[in-house]
Amino acid sequence: MSAMPERPDSRGASAARALDLTKTYGTGDAQVVALAGVTTEFAAGEFTAIMGPSGSGKSTLLHCLAGLDTPTSGTVHIGDVDLTTLKDKELTRLRRDKVGFIFQAFNLVPTLTAQENITLPLDIAGSDVDGAWFDTVVGTIGLKDRLTHRPSELSGGQQQRVAGARALVSRPAIIFADEPTGNLDSRSGAELLSFLRTAVKDHGQTIVMVTHDANAASYADRVVFLADGRIVDEMRGPTAELVLDRLKSLEA
Amino acid sequence: MWRATWRSLLARKVRLLLTGIAIVLGVGFISGTYVLTDTLNAAFNDLFTQTTRGVDVQVQGTEAFALDPSQGGGGGSERQPIPGSVATQIEGLAGVQQVVGNVQGYAQLVDPVTEEAITTTGAPTIGSSWTPLAGLEIVEGSEPTNSTQVAIDAGTAKAHNLSVGDQIRILFEGPAREFTISAVIRIGGTDSLLGATLAVFDTSTAQDVLNRPGAFDFLSVVAKEGVAATTLRDEINSILPEGYEAITGETAAQQAADAVSKGLGFLQTFLLVFAMVALFVGAFIIFNTFNIIVTQRVRELGLLRTLGASRRQVMVSVVVESLLTGLLASAVGLVAGIGIASGLQALLKGFGIDVPSTALLIKSRTIVVSMVLGTLVTVVASVAPARRASRVAPIEALRETGSPPTSSMKRRSLSGAAVTLLGVGALGKGLFTHTSNAASVVGLGAALTFIGVAILSPLFTRPLAGWIGAPFNRRPISGRLGRQNSMRNPRRTASTAAALMIGLGLVSFVAVASASLKASASAALDKALKADYIVSGSNFNPFSPQVAADMAADPAFEVVSGVRQNQVKIGTSSAFITAIDPSTFGAVSSLEFSTGGLNGLEQPGGVLLYKGVATSKNLQIGDEIRIGFASTGVQPFTVEGIYTDSSLLGDYAISIADYETNFVQQLDVFALATLAPGVDKAQAGAAIDRVTAIYPNVQVQDQTEFKETQAAAIDRFLGLVTALLLMAILIALFGIVNTLGLSIYERIREIGLLRAVGMSRKQVKRMIRVEAVIIAILGAILGVAIGILFGIAMQQALKDIGITKLAIPVGQLIVYMVIAGLAGVVAAFFPARRAAKLNVLQAISYE
Repeated sequence: MSAMPERPDSRGASAARALDLTKTYGTGDAQVVALAGVTTEFAAGEFTAIMGPSGSGKSTLLHCLAGLDTPTSGTVHIGDVDLTTLKDKELTRLRRDKVGFIFQAFNLVPTLTAQENITLPLDIAGSDVDGAWFDTVVGTIGLKDRLTHRPSELSGGQQQRVAGARALVSRPAIIFADEPTGNLDSRSGAELLSFLRTAVKDHGQTIVMVTHDANAASYADRVVFLADGRIVDEMRGPTAELVLDRLKSLEA
Repeated sequence: MWRATWRSLLARKVRLLLTGIAIVLGVGFISGTYVLTDTLNAAFNDLFTQTTRGVDVQVQGTEAFALDPSQGGGGGSERQPIPGSVATQIEGLAGVQQVVGNVQGYAQLVDPVTEEAITTTGAPTIGSSWTPLAGLEIVEGSEPTNSTQVAIDAGTAKAHNLSVGDQIRILFEGPAREFTISAVIRIGGTDSLLGATLAVFDTSTAQDVLNRPGAFDFLSVVAKEGVAATTLRDEINSILPEGYEAITGETAAQQAADAVSKGLGFLQTFLLVFAMVALFVGAFIIFNTFNIIVTQRVRELGLLRTLGASRRQVMVSVVVESLLTGLLASAVGLVAGIGIASGLQALLKGFGIDVPSTALLIKSRTIVVSMVLGTLVTVVASVAPARRASRVAPIEALRETGSPPTSSMKRRSLSGAAVTLLGVGALGKGLFTHTSNAASVVGLGAALTFIGVAILSPLFTRPLAGWIGAPFNRRPISGRLGRQNSMRNPRRTASTAAALMIGLGLVSFVAVASASLKASASAALDKALKADYIVSGSNFNPFSPQVAADMAADPAFEVVSGVRQNQVKIGTSSAFITAIDPSTFGAVSSLEFSTGGLNGLEQPGGVLLYKGVATSKNLQIGDEIRIGFASTGVQPFTVEGIYTDSSLLGDYAISIADYETNFVQQLDVFALATLAPGVDKAQAGAAIDRVTAIYPNVQVQDQTEFKETQAAAIDRFLGLVTALLLMAILIALFGIVNTLGLSIYERIREIGLLRAVGMSRKQVKRMIRVEAVIIAILGAILGVAIGILFGIAMQQALKDIGITKLAIPVGQLIVYMVIAGLAGVVAAFFPARRAAKLNVLQAISYE
């Protein structure tokens, strides 16, 4: 493993935080409240899982944190930057330079090879790829011999790992993962989660992951439980059993 | 099933609109052409009814055949004048109330301020005698009554700011003369006779200046009260000498209108060719759009099949969708045609073809042809996509990303090669063999070649698009992605580019053809001319032989030789005959003979032939050839010489003396002059100024200047044709817009992903633009390549009739490609904007 990458914020400081975040859709009787005042903080170098039943607002929270969606009120900070004050152009640049993404599906551009997909954010920015760091990341995902393949020639698990490598290669301040194992069999899912775990442990990467899978959440340092647009609980050092129990009580 | 079709149509209004536009424009062009030419025809009919009002019988010389107004030549009527005695004889008949003798001929006005000849573009410059019958109506002043007075049409008066009392010089076949304007007149209720200029004199002056001493061109006869026109016509016919005929006024109007409608028929065919090209391009767009739609709807189609729809039903549903699209677009196109008719009128005017503006006429034929053709083209173009749709298996409904079956590349290359060969074969047959309907065969060949290349093009689209896109294949990533997008679906890219290929192919062909024509004409002049100067009419209109006579009398010039040209019939086919003066022509040209020579024309009844004609008709010196003249009928001529270069004289040449015997109107089409020994440039210039001061309708140019004038005329035609092909190119650009729009719709998640990981709106736009530019340049390259090949084929085919040189205007063709690339940028504007404005969150969560 290569040397730990330099980061502007040291482990333990806040990588992202939300303050009294609300998000409502529609007006009047048809109004739906997705987030009803969420305040939380994500420490740098920590792996956080966001859990909750369907419709609890976990995806909306992730989208607002990542600058993909604009909250109705409240503020979101990534590092020192208040996302709610940014225009589209600045938000786009922030996503490019400071944020990494792993989606549930359709993570890769079909016309690009695995390697090109991994360096996509850097290529968009027009910045140089750090060769040593690239090799480290690719080595971690174990796809060295698949770099020239197109997404259609990769399995679902391999595609998600390529997406993980892409998220990591630009050394973002924070990676957001939206149900990254949702479409994978349990073995491929475990591989991806170990990879994410390694990125946090070895390289101090900050990751926020939305999931409904208790087993996936058990890879995290901390679990935040959401229900009806509010944070209802938190758990440190989760195990699958503990998370499952907590979820059952939330749904009850 | 019906409901599903209808819903699908409604659900995609924008797509329907874009698809429809291809047909709307093509159909609009067709209906516009019909509306324009029908309107003009009606206007002419009206006018001729007006100008023969009150005339019961018209007496005129017989015409062996009518000259085709679209074919040019000396122009004018070729009927023998009627001696005054015949008029007197008719006056004595019992049923006759009044006989008015009319004279008509060439008279060109000279603007007194600019001292330039007032020219028309195509329309004649008419001189005529005053008549109380022809619907002449005085706006200002009084009718001309003596040899110094003239009445002119209000249109010309307005355009050149002339009014009663002004002095004006007028050019005739004979010497020019000065007149005073006595009246400004309207004809048949209009200011001008369809762009013609009109100078009206009293009868004896007209006979004098128009060279009809004691004779008339036609007589207008009014019957006594109660005498039927047909009765009077038969009565007059019974006393008329050989070579003359009497017809009713109604027939006369009809004849005049028919002559015009023949000319308009040519214009109609000319414009319809371009309309068909536009519709042909439209068919490509329809085909492409429906193919993409079928691909995108594959899950939906699979679902329909799962639910029990038969293959036939699926196919019918797609065809019905195209039928509705076709009907709707054709209807809109029909209406748009009215606007396009005005546009065409303006365009023709811009290129010097002046047509009068009147209320537009929409015939039921226009409606039927537009609707049927537009709908048919749409449906036919959708049949192949519909068949593909019918082959979608029910299982596709369940697949994540299904794709309908496509024919194998092997089958594609076989069928593509077959169609291309068929097209090239038809082209060859039309160009290189004597076929009765060569133009249609060539047209069909060209269309098949385009289709064949379009079928083949997906085979080489990927490497070609990659090569074109190579400059974009580096940082930033947006260019690279655009390039790859253009390569990811070769069929789609190819058929989108093919639509543009057709327009650019034709434009490039015309560019090569006209460059070759210019080069050949220039080479022919170099080779065949000894003359220092060439005299030609402005706009290549014929001019008075007096010009050559006056110049010959000027000591600055040694030899001046006028050349005349008009239409004749050899057997049943039309041909051009050229007339030269055998005693002077040798001094101004270097015509080479394989046998015989110029002196063969010194006796009457001699004809010289171009070698190619002599060979194909198997004629030798001393053989007889029968030539039909409009005025004097069929006359025997003897072959006295065979020349080896047709660039100056065309296929047949006779002497001026024989020309004067057999043609009524005597005008030169050009004249060649050599300077007298010892005359320097300045003296020559002064001599030329003396000529053009008297005859402002001619230009005296040295070879270089003449070549430039000729090239400018060719360029003007090139410009017109290019402008008319713009419609086809415009439709092809809509095709690019359409394809990009549909592709973006398909790649919505991908674009969402790119935006999520940090691609800016600007970069997204650039990505789409690069793809558009690559498609456009791909179409342009294919088009230019085909255009060059067509040009070479044409040049080879027409080698024998004077297109001896092949010229490929490389610079111009490169400019076309650059413009095509820029057009791609324009076509990408809306799709790029749409892609850039995508809501990222919706795009990535889009199912």
